[in-house]
Amino acid sequence: MIEARGLTKRFGSIVAVQGVDLSVGARGIVGFLGPNGAGKTTTMRMLTGFLPMNEGSAVVCGFDVFEDPLAVKARVGYLPETPPLYPELSVGEYLTFTAEIRGVPRAVRLARVGDAMERVGLRGFERRLLGSLSKGYRQRVGLAQAIVHDPPLLILDEPTSGLDPAQLVGVRALVKELAADRVVVLSTHILQEVDALCDRVVIIHRGRIVGDGTVTALADAAGAGAWTELVLASADNDAAGRLAGLPEITSVEALASDGARKRYRLRGGPGHAVAVSALAAARGWPIEALVPHRASLEEVFLALVGSES
Amino acid sequence: MTGSSGPASMGRAPGFVGATLAVTRKELRVYFLSPMAYVFLASFLFLGGLFFYLGVALTGEASLRATMSNLAVALIFCLPLVTMRSFAEEQKAGTLELLMTAPVPLGALILGKWLAVLALCGVLVGATGVYAGILALYGDPDPGVLLTSYLGLVVCCAAFSAAGLFTSTLTRDQMVAGVGAILLLLPFWLSSTVSSYLPAWAAPVLDWVSFLEHLRSFARGVIDTGDLAWFLGFTGVFLFLTWRSIESRRWR
Repeated sequence: MIEARGLTKRFGSIVAVQGVDLSVGARGIVGFLGPNGAGKTTTMRMLTGFLPMNEGSAVVCGFDVFEDPLAVKARVGYLPETPPLYPELSVGEYLTFTAEIRGVPRAVRLARVGDAMERVGLRGFERRLLGSLSKGYRQRVGLAQAIVHDPPLLILDEPTSGLDPAQLVGVRALVKELAADRVVVLSTHILQEVDALCDRVVIIHRGRIVGDGTVTALADAAGAGAWTELVLASADNDAAGRLAGLPEITSVEALASDGARKRYRLRGGPGHAVAVSALAAARGWPIEALVPHRASLEEVFLALVGSES
Repeated sequence: MTGSSGPASMGRAPGFVGATLAVTRKELRVYFLSPMAYVFLASFLFLGGLFFYLGVALTGEASLRATMSNLAVALIFCLPLVTMRSFAEEQKAGTLELLMTAPVPLGALILGKWLAVLALCGVLVGATGVYAGILALYGDPDPGVLLTSYLGLVVCCAAFSAAGLFTSTLTRDQMVAGVGAILLLLPFWLSSTVSSYLPAWAAPVLDWVSFLEHLRSFARGVIDTGDLAWFLGFTGVFLFLTWRSIESRRWR
């Protein structure tokens, strides 16, 4: 759906995006993650044809953004960070206008507008003025205009920013639903959001991609992978050495112990937990807890961003 | 990847004419739902009535000659009220991003906005038809002269609105865009006034720059191709500059 090579954008002497390569397939939700000012919005604006790139190229939905921008624009649904609404218009008037400029044929326009409103939960809001809507409903209208022409690719810039928790849950569920039959690329600086929504994370920092993959794959790459917490009620003094001697275990780190109780942070390959419990049984160490921990996205993010700077 | 799957309704560009008209309809809707159109119409018609009365009462002739040139000057101050928001507000509200990421050619966007201003002017020029009616009722005006006088007013609207659209692309601030349009248009009015104080060689140049000089032929009942070309050229130049301005803003 997206094939971008070496995307670079400069504003004067500031390099906002530098050499971004991105390849997105035909399904799923891809999350752009990065702190504010990392270049997420600029990248999205280049992919939608709003901003021309200084260097590089992007093929979106089979068309070159620079050579054939109208063909790309006809196939992309885009929600900028602030929903682009005209406060004077009603929801129905606005969506009809966006359907018109997106080339939805007159014969199906009414049906498409109704369908878009239905999908984002705006039924019965047709006559409401956009200026009178709450932030959550503005966001819904913004999503409705992005899907009114049923695009195969949806690009959403911070779709949940500024929403209250209830609206946030609603919009996330909606995005997930919309992704069932199209590709969604969304940006966010909220780590949990990526965790909750995205099949794949692209981490952008200072205009460059510093990580790309599933959360788990990124965790491994960043060296912040999964670990297992082992708590023994009592153990021999050489327990750490014996644990490290297991072939399945790659590292053992003793954590703070209180009294006889000992705690370890273990890393290892598949089956290491089984090997550990077998060893403990053989040595007569009572296991209090053996807890697998997945690397949090925070750890991954900090590891990647830290290694960059 | 070419021709990605999807329902038949997606993946079309609306076409140049369709996009232009969609933009025009949207603009007109927004105009008439916000107070600016009414302020524009009311202020212009107030001035128009005044000029019409004075023009006819003072000259005693059944023509719109004086009225029209005064109305054209009034347009310099009233029309920016309409054009100032067109691009400035879209930039400020972020809706320009919507328009520029829809499959709408930039030319269609500009043309659509310009046609909307022109349509609003059409309402206005239509309303001044009352003056012609009054003249016909109480006097014996030359219908040909009346028609060309109106044509003169229309070409003024076309030219000034193009200039107004241009200044509206330069800023996100409506007020700056409006005042900018007035400042841009003033020299095209005042240059002929100044010309009498300047050396003889400069006078024809300054006269040529002034739209009032080019409006004279229309008020006399003549359609001078040179004068018509002046207005059309003025319009074309500023629509082109509008286009260039938006294009260049994307690169900054």
